[in-house]
Amino acid sequence: MKKKCLTPFISFLPLIFFINFVWAGGPVQLRILYLNDFHGFAEPYQPVGSPEKLGGIAFLAEEVNRLRKERPTLLLAAGDMIQGNPWANLFEGRSTIEVMNAMDFFAMVLGNHEFDFGQEVLKKRIQEARFPILAANVQGMSDIKPYVLKEIAGLKIAIVGLITEETPTSTDPKNVKGLAFNSMIDSAQKVMQELGDQPDLVIFLSHLGLQADRRLAQEVKEIQVIVGGHTHTRIENPIQVNETLIVQAWEHAKVLGVLDLTIQDRKVIKYEGKLVVIRPDKFRPDPVVAEIVDRYKRQTASILDEVIGEALLDLDSKGSRYQETNLGNLIADILRKETQADVALINGGTIRADILKGPIRMKDVLSVLPFSNYPVLLKVNGQELKAIFEYGISDPDGTSGRFPQVSGIQFTYSPMYPVGQRITNIRVGGKPLDSMAWYTMATLDFLAAGGDGYLVLKDIIEKGEKDSAQNHRVLLFDSSRKVSDLVTGYTKEKKQISASVDGRIQKEK
Amino acid sequence: MRIWLNDQPIVFVPGMKVRQALIQADLVQEIEKGARVFDEWGNEVGLDGALEDEMRYVLKSGA
Repeated sequence: MKKKCLTPFISFLPLIFFINFVWAGGPVQLRILYLNDFHGFAEPYQPVGSPEKLGGIAFLAEEVNRLRKERPTLLLAAGDMIQGNPWANLFEGRSTIEVMNAMDFFAMVLGNHEFDFGQEVLKKRIQEARFPILAANVQGMSDIKPYVLKEIAGLKIAIVGLITEETPTSTDPKNVKGLAFNSMIDSAQKVMQELGDQPDLVIFLSHLGLQADRRLAQEVKEIQVIVGGHTHTRIENPIQVNETLIVQAWEHAKVLGVLDLTIQDRKVIKYEGKLVVIRPDKFRPDPVVAEIVDRYKRQTASILDEVIGEALLDLDSKGSRYQETNLGNLIADILRKETQADVALINGGTIRADILKGPIRMKDVLSVLPFSNYPVLLKVNGQELKAIFEYGISDPDGTSGRFPQVSGIQFTYSPMYPVGQRITNIRVGGKPLDSMAWYTMATLDFLAAGGDGYLVLKDIIEKGEKDSAQNHRVLLFDSSRKVSDLVTGYTKEKKQISASVDGRIQKEK
Repeated sequence: MRIWLNDQPIVFVPGMKVRQALIQADLVQEIEKGARVFDEWGNEVGLDGALEDEMRYVLKSGA
């Protein structure tokens, strides 16, 4: 009974406390807490090369609670929140939104990866969010607001969202079908015109990257604060460009951004910013957020353990570094089908486990393909195609991982001949290779970047970038779906999985 | 589009991340030894951070 009576009183306490910071015409103190590029990293983890574990959204949430008690506070998110880690991906971002609701976020800008589950899923996430999701330069989706204008601590604060114009080139085209991603500068200027002299403070919540944020600050001088994301930049102290402050808080909730402002007569007269490193061994977790994290963690474990299909025979990875394998063929076939390419290439070294005859679980697929490899679709000519596969079979002993596992192409090679002249009888789609013709080839971002020594691929991309825009060689760089996601999706759809060694790569003795 | 990593030019396409630039420059194994990547203003960037055209990045040893 007593508790009930106390609750309204307790909830007014912050208000009474904050009145101290609000003086008519006098300076007003405001705190901005911010996070960007969370990518569903809900639990603490030890980044590669780091001596310690960092992050953990429940620990960060408790620090937010503490800092909120000190002055009027806005908690903002600068995009790429709902996609990345399985903790978020397996629920298409629902887990992240639940955490963000519990943390009482004030606003969020869309990041390019927010589109990765498609527009229908994104609409659901926007409906679930108890905070506005912004992007002033996206046209075609009515659920997205350009900005919000709200009064906090006696200040009218405008928060405007901007997303990178490159979004359509970094996700599956169907995810952004019917949407336009307009110029950030034009969109910012349009919003500023609409807002007129209403706001006391203008904050841009940007998923553009630091370089673009700097340009935005140069060109739209009325912006007082840019809270950025996209480049995963660890800005320890706010960057000042003219009168604009730019901040960004690294990635994966490893730090919490804190920007304290003192505002008078619509001007920031004082500021202080820092990043608080989230060390799970030094913080307590917020119990509400910790419960949500744990609940989805348990569900993640059970989803990974669910049977998604059945292998009708052993799918063998052994030998993938020096010969055609049925598992290599299966993965390459799926990659080619999903990208609608003429040819697909993966490297044998990317296949790390077998799938034995019997039930296939999602965790089995992740054991086979543990790396974060994304599909890339390239335009290559016949001559280049031959050079790519000549490199692939240049180490037939399999000490490196470069040996090709392929789809849509057949060839014969002889290790007796010199490197670069080993392949004969290449056929693409059943027809002899035309050295002058153009083909589409799907591969992994790792190989396209020259990984496992595929410099030939890197060189083709570089040459294309230097050529005219019509001759760019990268047709698709799909960072919305890992290759393991493609294999999981295929298995769920087909249920019964088989594959064979059909002689697409033949070794002459 | 192009970036510079330790003064070495690297061509990239939109969507590529710092990690792919390190693969191209054959430097990704340095990260496991504790090296970190910084932008031209001296800010550390994460491996999954988007690359920005004409940006100059530096890989600094963790030692």
